[in-house]
Order: sequence, then structure tokens, then C-alpha cells
Amino acid sequence: MSEQLPAPDFDAQNYARPNQNWICGHACEGQPCRQGPDANGRCRATAECKPVLETNPGETKGRWRCTRPGEPCEFGPLPDGSCCRPIAKCSPVPTLRVWRGRVTLAVIAASCAVLLIVLGDPPWRNNFISPGEISRAHSGAAFAGLAATNHLNQSCGACHAAGNSGPNPMIHAALHADPGILDLEKLANAKPAEPTAIDESCAQCHVAHNFHQPDAPTISCSFCHAEHQGKMMAATTDENCIFCHGDATKMAATQTGNNFTPVIHHFADDHPQFRFITEKWRDPDTLKFNHALHLTGATIPNLPGGAKLDCAFCHQPDSAGAFMKPVNFENNCRVCHSLQFDPETPQLQLPHGSAEFVTAFLRSLPKQYADLAAKENQADANNFVQQKLAALRTQFGSGEELERRVFFSTATFGPETQIGTLSGGTRALFPGCELCHEVKSSVAGSPAITKPMMPERWLAQAKFNHAKHANISCGQCHDAVHSKDTADILLPAKETCAACHSPRGGVVDTCATCHTYHNATVVTR
Amino acid sequence: MKRFRRQFFLGTSALIAATVAALWLHKKFCALPDYPFLTGWILFAAMLVLTFFNARKKLPFLALGKAETWLQIHIYLGFFTVVLFLIHLNFRAPHGWFEITLAWLFALVTGSGVVGLVFSRTLPRRLVTRGGEVIFEKIPALRHALKTEAENLALGTDAKSAVIAEFYAKRLAPFFAGPKNFWLHVFESRRPFNALAAELNDLRRFVSETERATLDKLAALVRQKDGLDYHRALQLALKLWLFVHIPLTYGLLVFTALHIVLVFGFSGGAR
Repeated sequence: MSEQLPAPDFDAQNYARPNQNWICGHACEGQPCRQGPDANGRCRATAECKPVLETNPGETKGRWRCTRPGEPCEFGPLPDGSCCRPIAKCSPVPTLRVWRGRVTLAVIAASCAVLLIVLGDPPWRNNFISPGEISRAHSGAAFAGLAATNHLNQSCGACHAAGNSGPNPMIHAALHADPGILDLEKLANAKPAEPTAIDESCAQCHVAHNFHQPDAPTISCSFCHAEHQGKMMAATTDENCIFCHGDATKMAATQTGNNFTPVIHHFADDHPQFRFITEKWRDPDTLKFNHALHLTGATIPNLPGGAKLDCAFCHQPDSAGAFMKPVNFENNCRVCHSLQFDPETPQLQLPHGSAEFVTAFLRSLPKQYADLAAKENQADANNFVQQKLAALRTQFGSGEELERRVFFSTATFGPETQIGTLSGGTRALFPGCELCHEVKSSVAGSPAITKPMMPERWLAQAKFNHAKHANISCGQCHDAVHSKDTADILLPAKETCAACHSPRGGVVDTCATCHTYHNATVVTR
Repeated sequence: MKRFRRQFFLGTSALIAATVAALWLHKKFCALPDYPFLTGWILFAAMLVLTFFNARKKLPFLALGKAETWLQIHIYLGFFTVVLFLIHLNFRAPHGWFEITLAWLFALVTGSGVVGLVFSRTLPRRLVTRGGEVIFEKIPALRHALKTEAENLALGTDAKSAVIAEFYAKRLAPFFAGPKNFWLHVFESRRPFNALAAELNDLRRFVSETERATLDKLAALVRQKDGLDYHRALQLALKLWLFVHIPLTYGLLVFTALHIVLVFGFSGGAR
């Protein structure tokens, strides 16, 4: 194949200079001039030679001699000393390397121009340089309003000193950054989670961090809360929590008194048992309630409508579905526990909620019966009242005894049962307040009934959502069918939760699933 | 070849070792608070070293080592820079217009570099296989000489064949007028040349013995012109990829400089 192409030639008279920036315009015709273009791409061609004046001894004018390479031309120099064979001027052609240089300069110029244009226009600049979408909390009209209230810039400048400013302030901010641009030692030795300058921006609105431990070390906001990650601020990861909770030294330094939080890495592995178990918490409520009896007792009647009493009758979710509404007598107890004290008069019931009211009610029974007579249009109201009072007197002997039994009787059988009953026996009896409440006698006035105290949440530092657990039965977590004592805290042990919330169980088990670090407090000043 | 294999083995081994070391260091130190700053500076330094290869070629008078050594460093450091780039990004996709543009510029510079490496490893071998040695800058002159010779054969005063003259005017004149079939030559297709050669061969049936000799000479010139176009196409490809690689490199450096300003101005220099 080599015979297909001309062999390389080397013409000393016509030497190619491929490293030069310009090529003679005649090169494409195979006849480049010997001089070639100058460094600036200008044609240097003049004539084929530059004649030399030779003067022999005794001559005054001399003679012009042709200096053309090779051999002198036929006609020789002109009388004025110029060559008789001028070379036609050409338009030198730039080499590919020159074009490449031009393209490079054009790209640099275009890059600088585009960046200057974009950086010079605030809306474009902020959109262009933002390294990601701002979270919903830090963008939009609500944030702009809050920023304006706090006398802050309503855009990037709310957090960044160089935000919402042109190229010069940006460069100034970069040159005066801490750590500095070339402060490599400081960059390399920066401590993890150490507060930085940008945390001061956070504190402009988030004035008081509500840390879950008052002696927790101060850490940078951005250590846990990464901005510019999308509409939803990036979730705090286990690594953020383990930064302290996985470090025994840090944990020892921050805990005083009961050192109950050891080093934790994963919920299923080394998370401690819940405190209500390890510390054997007891429910201090004075209300007497037997879960086992109510759920499994043979004497428990069915609800109106025929349904069996179950957890859901008393424990109703709140509007959000996360927690349960507090149990109260009117909604959950009265349906079975009547406050009827007169066996013959089911229309008259004791008031609930105040011992003083009960006392006042009992001491005004003639008036209560008279009101009932008027309400029922009894023909002879006085006679009706006297009959009722006589019946009570026959049963209890005196008003004091009636009052004593109402407050202090706990018997559900025997003579004291006669405080109250309903025909048919399907509803629970009312033996006396003390059946359910702690009643303390008082020398003067009414007996004191300790107000029931039912905490809405036992593990206040943990998040929980009953709605998300609706697919499992109550009994899987709350062992109510075996609880006979009010003091029992019917929460599940850690192992019950970890059965699902673990890598083995397949349900998310991050720290943030249950815990909150602090409640962000946004204030306006 | 033995030397090339040795260079390839050493370079690849060094690249693999450096990659493993970088990934190990990344896993160990990625939790450092200013880790992205540190990886950024290392990446920037690597980019400057890579860019300096271009400057090194412009400074042949300085004793900066052999250009061949620089080229080997450029190639393997270029691949390692991709690893550094991914580490700097923490193996995540960039967000935001500016960072996406910066990442695309890096990808284009790297991609054009890889294309250039493939070209420089394959095209010279193809040129040698095809035969002949032509200085790229001399190709226009050689093409002009071939055109002049072909014109003289077909249309000159000695030529007395109307058939050949007509064929030259219709088919060969455009062929000799300038470079042809750039992409077909790059992709090693000889279809246009074979078609032209077949037409020349067909023409032999319609001409005399004397004219056949002229046709043979024209066929030889067509082969030479085709070979010249082949050389031009491949040598041009060897030069054109630099039109992407080098300008975008400097564009990337401009964007990188702004990236540094933004990072320090907005992160370290917060209010």
C-alpha cells in the first residue's frame, strides 16, 4: 500500500514549518514562498531576491547583482535596484493550533461572560449558584415574611453573608472566610460538629434550642440538618446521634446522677431497656381499675347493642390518630357504672366529679325528690317526697349512714349492696365511690376524693403513632388481659418493639423514628 | 511493544493502587467536618497538574522532564482524577445549576480525553497499516499536485479522449477538488473509493489501448488521492479532539475558580 502515497520529501528550498502559527497562502497550491508569513500572520513576500549593489574599484555607480537562490534570473535587477520578479502577496492561513488557541480563548471568554451575566442578576444568580433546592421551611413567602420581621435579607442573604450580593462581595467573603481559602491546616484539624459561622444565621430565628439534655455539647446545626437537599430537609441520620451516643467519653461527660444512658449504636443491639421497666415504674394513679376483669371477666355485661367490652371502647384515638384520648367517666364508665343510689328511683343519680357536689346533693334530697316530682308531674309532690325519704330511712337508718355508704362502701354484696341496684342485674352496681376512687374521710365537710391522674404519655421523649400500628392488635404490645392492678404500666418492653423495628424485623429502626432531639423554636423579634 | 507493555503495567498498577488507597482513605476520613474542602483541594491540584501538561508542551526549553513521561502521568492521573471527583462528590449526583454545569464540564473534559486516548492509540496504527507518511500541513500541496497531474492527464493538450475528459469533468474533478469522505475514512469505509475504482474499470471497455494507459494512470492518482484523504481524515481526528479537550479544560478551570469562591464565600464565610 505504501506505493499509493508520495514518499516523504525534504526540500531544503521549500522547508515546511508545521510548528509555526501561520501558513503561506500559496501552500495549498504547492508553492509556498520561502519566507513565509511573520509571527502575526502578515505576508512577508516582496520579490524573489534582494539585489546587492556591487561597485568595482574606480566605478562610481556600481552594478546591481541578482541574489536569487539557485541561479540568477534571466533579466536581473531593475535599474533602481529592485528585483524584477515580484512575488504575489498571499493571505496567510492560520494553522489548526492557532484555531485551537482561538477556540480556547473564546471558551474562556464565554465562560467568564456567562458567569458575570448570571452573577450580576440577583434572581438568576440565586437560582444558578444554589447547590440544591432549599427546604420548604427556609423558602417561600412564609420564610420571606419571617426574615423581614427579623430584619434579615429575604433570600440567600438571610443565612449567607455573601448571599444576594454580586461577584465582588462574594470574592471578599471568600477571601475573609474562616477557615481561609488556603488555611489547609485549619481545614484538616476542624473538629466534627463544631459550631461554625453559619450557625449564627440559624440562631437569628431559632433563638432557643430546646436540647433534650441541658448539658449536651453544643454542636453545629448543619451537622444534623443539611440544607439544600430538597423541599424536605434531609432527615437526621443515626450517625448524627451516634456522634455523641456512640462515644462513651462524651456520654460520661454529659450525664449526671443516674447514668442511665449507655453507649448506643443500634436500637435492637445496645439500646437500653425502657426506663419504666428497669426502674420498675408504677402507675401512681389512685383510681382502682382492673384491666383483666374488664376484658376477660365473666360478670362483665355486654355493651348496649350487644358488643363485648374491648380496648377500643375506652381507648379512642385522638384526631391525629397518634395518641389516645383520655378516658373519662361520662364517655367510658357511666354506660355500665350507674350512679343510682335509690333502688326505687332510677331517675335520680348522684353527680360525678366533685365530692362536695355529692354531699350537697345528698343533703338536699327532699329538694331533689321535689324537683323530680315536679318534673314527672306527680299529683301529690309532698307525699311523693315523703315516701321516698321514708324508704331510704328504712334502708339506711339515717342520712349520715347513707352518706357514709355512698362514699366509703366497696361491697358488691350483702347489706351494703342496697346502696343502689338496678333491676335485672345486667349493669354494674354502685356500692360506693371507694369502689373506684381513693376516698379520704374528713372531720369537717365532705370526704376528700383523690382526683385520678392518668398521664397521657409515659415516654415523653419518644414519638409514637398508634395509627401507624393499626394493623396489629392492642394485645401484642399492651398486656392488659393479665393486668389486675392500676399500678401496672401496660407499655411494651424494648424487645417487643425491636421484634419489628430492627434489621431482622424489617421495619425502620433509626433513632429519629422514635426520638426527637429538640423542639425547634422559631421566634419573631 | 515491550516498553509500552511495561509502561501500561506500571501505570495501571499505580492507578489501581492509588484508587484503592483513595477509597480506603475516603472511608476512614469522610466524617471529617471539612473533608469536602480537603478533597476539593486535592482534586483541584490534580486538575492543575493535568492542565500543566499543555503548558509543558509550550515550554520545551525548560528541563521539565520528557514529554512522554508527562503524557503517561497525564493519562493515569486523568483516570485517577475521576476517582477523586467521585470522592469529592461523595458518590452522589450534584445538585443545582452551577454544580451540574461544573460536573458536566468535568465529564466532557474527561470524556474527550478518553476519546483522544483511544484515537492516539488506534489511529496511528491504522495510518501505518494503510502506508505512506504525510505531514499534515503538506497535504493541501500534495492534493494540489495530484489534481494538477490528473487534469493534465485528462484534459491536457496530450489528452485526446473525449470519454476520459467527460468522465473526469463529471466524476473525478469534484473528487480531486478537495478533501472527501472524512467520516467514512474515520470509520474505515472504502465504499466511495471502490465505487470510483469500479467506474474507472468499467470505462476501460469503451476506450482504446492508449486511453487505457491514461485510465491506469488516473486510477493510480485516484488511489493516491484517496490515501491522502485517509491520512487527512485520521490526522485531523487526532487533532480535532483537542478542540474539545483543551478549551473545555480552561472553561472548567474558570468554573472551578468560581466554585472555590462560592464554597468559601457561602460556607466558611457565613454571616
